[in-house]
Amino acid sequence: MAGGEEGPAGGSVSEPLDLVRLLLDEVVFVKLRGDRELKGRLHAYDSHMNLVLGDVVETIYTVDEDDDDEEIRTTTKKSEMLFVRGDSVVLVSPQNSS
Amino acid sequence: MDNPSIHDLPPQPGGSMPLPALGRAAAAAAAVPPQPQQLPPQMFTTAAQLLDLTDKKLLVCLRDGRKLNGVLRSWDQFANLVLQSTVERIYATTSPPSDPQPKGLYADQTHGIFLVRGENVLLLGEIDLDKDDDPPPGFEKADFAVVEKMAKERRAAEKTKEKKKLQKLATLGFEGENLGEIIL
Amino acid sequence: MLFFSFFKTLIDHEVTVELKNDIQIRGTLKSVDQYLNIKLDDIQVVEEIKYPHLSSVKNVFIRGSVVRYVHLPAAAVDVPLLEDATRREAAQQAGKGK
Repeated sequence: MAGGEEGPAGGSVSEPLDLVRLLLDEVVFVKLRGDRELKGRLHAYDSHMNLVLGDVVETIYTVDEDDDDEEIRTTTKKSEMLFVRGDSVVLVSPQNSS
Repeated sequence: MDNPSIHDLPPQPGGSMPLPALGRAAAAAAAVPPQPQQLPPQMFTTAAQLLDLTDKKLLVCLRDGRKLNGVLRSWDQFANLVLQSTVERIYATTSPPSDPQPKGLYADQTHGIFLVRGENVLLLGEIDLDKDDDPPPGFEKADFAVVEKMAKERRAAEKTKEKKKLQKLATLGFEGENLGEIIL
Repeated sequence: MLFFSFFKTLIDHEVTVELKNDIQIRGTLKSVDQYLNIKLDDIQVVEEIKYPHLSSVKNVFIRGSVVRYVHLPAAAVDVPLLEDATRREAAQQAGKGK
C-alpha cells in the first residue's frame, strides 16, 4: 500500500475506499446508474460499495413524455433505511464539505 | 445421495475432521459457552433457497423480459434451472399507461422442457395454485400471434422513448441503467 | 460477508426490495445467501396492477444481482453496531491488501 503508514484505524487515505471509511456516520451524496441520486447518512459499506444509508432522499430524473419539447423532471422519494447494491453506485461524495 | 434438508443440524465442528493436538487452543474452544440459538448455516446457501421450490410450479422472469411458467425439476448453486411443462406467457396492455386499472390481453405458448442458465434469471416465484386458474386481473386470453404483435409494437415504441430519455439525461451526466436490457 | 451477516439479522422482518427493472416487492425476508440472493414470503407487489404476471405468486426468490435497493425497517437496524461492524470489516480488508 503506497504511503500506508497508518493502519486502517488511522485517518490516512491510501486507497479509494478509505475515503468512504471517513464518511461513516456522515451525510453523503451518492450517484447511481438508472438516473438516480441519493442523499443520506452512511451507516455501512463494503468493498463492493454496497451501502446502507439512513434518512435517505432519492431523486429520480425522468423526461416528460407528452410533448415534443421534453422537459427533465425530478421525483423525490424518502426512505428511513436503505440498502443500496454496489453495482448501481457511480460515485460517493461527502455532502456539505469540500 | 440421501435427501438433505434445511432442518438437519449442521455438521458439528471437528466431528469428522482429525482432532487438532490438544493444546491451549483446544482447551479454550472446549471452554466456550454454548452459542445462542442460531439458524443452521446451510439455510443460507443458494441451494437451500431453491430446495424448497423443487417440484413446485414456478413463475420465472428472465433478463430479456420473458415470463416462463413451469415445474422446477432440477437446479444447482448457480441457479441454473431445469423446468418441465414450460409455458411462456406474453402480455399486451391495451389501455393507456395512465389508466389506474390497466386492461390487456395475454397468451400462452407451450415449450416443454427448458434448461435456463442462472445468470438470465431475475426472479423465481412460487405460484399459488389456488389462484393459478384465474386470469390476471384486467387481462383476457387471446390468440398468441395477436398478442405477440401488440407486445412487439409496444416494445418498439418504448425503445424509442427510452432512447430520447437517454439522450436528454446524458446532458446531466447520466447514462441509463442497463440500456434497455431489462424489459417488463 | 458484512452485508450477508447484516441481512441475516433482518430475517422475519418486513422489507421492500426494489429491482433494477423498477418493480418493488414487499414481503417478509425469509432467507439470504452469500450472493445476497433473497427469498421473500407473503409478497405484495407495489403498483401490482402494472405487473399482472405476479398476481398469483405468493413467495419469490430474487437473484441478488437484479436488486437495486432494499428498503429496511429502521427500527430493526442497530446503527452503532452496524457502523462498528463496518469499521471492523474495513480493517480486515485493509489487512488482506498488505
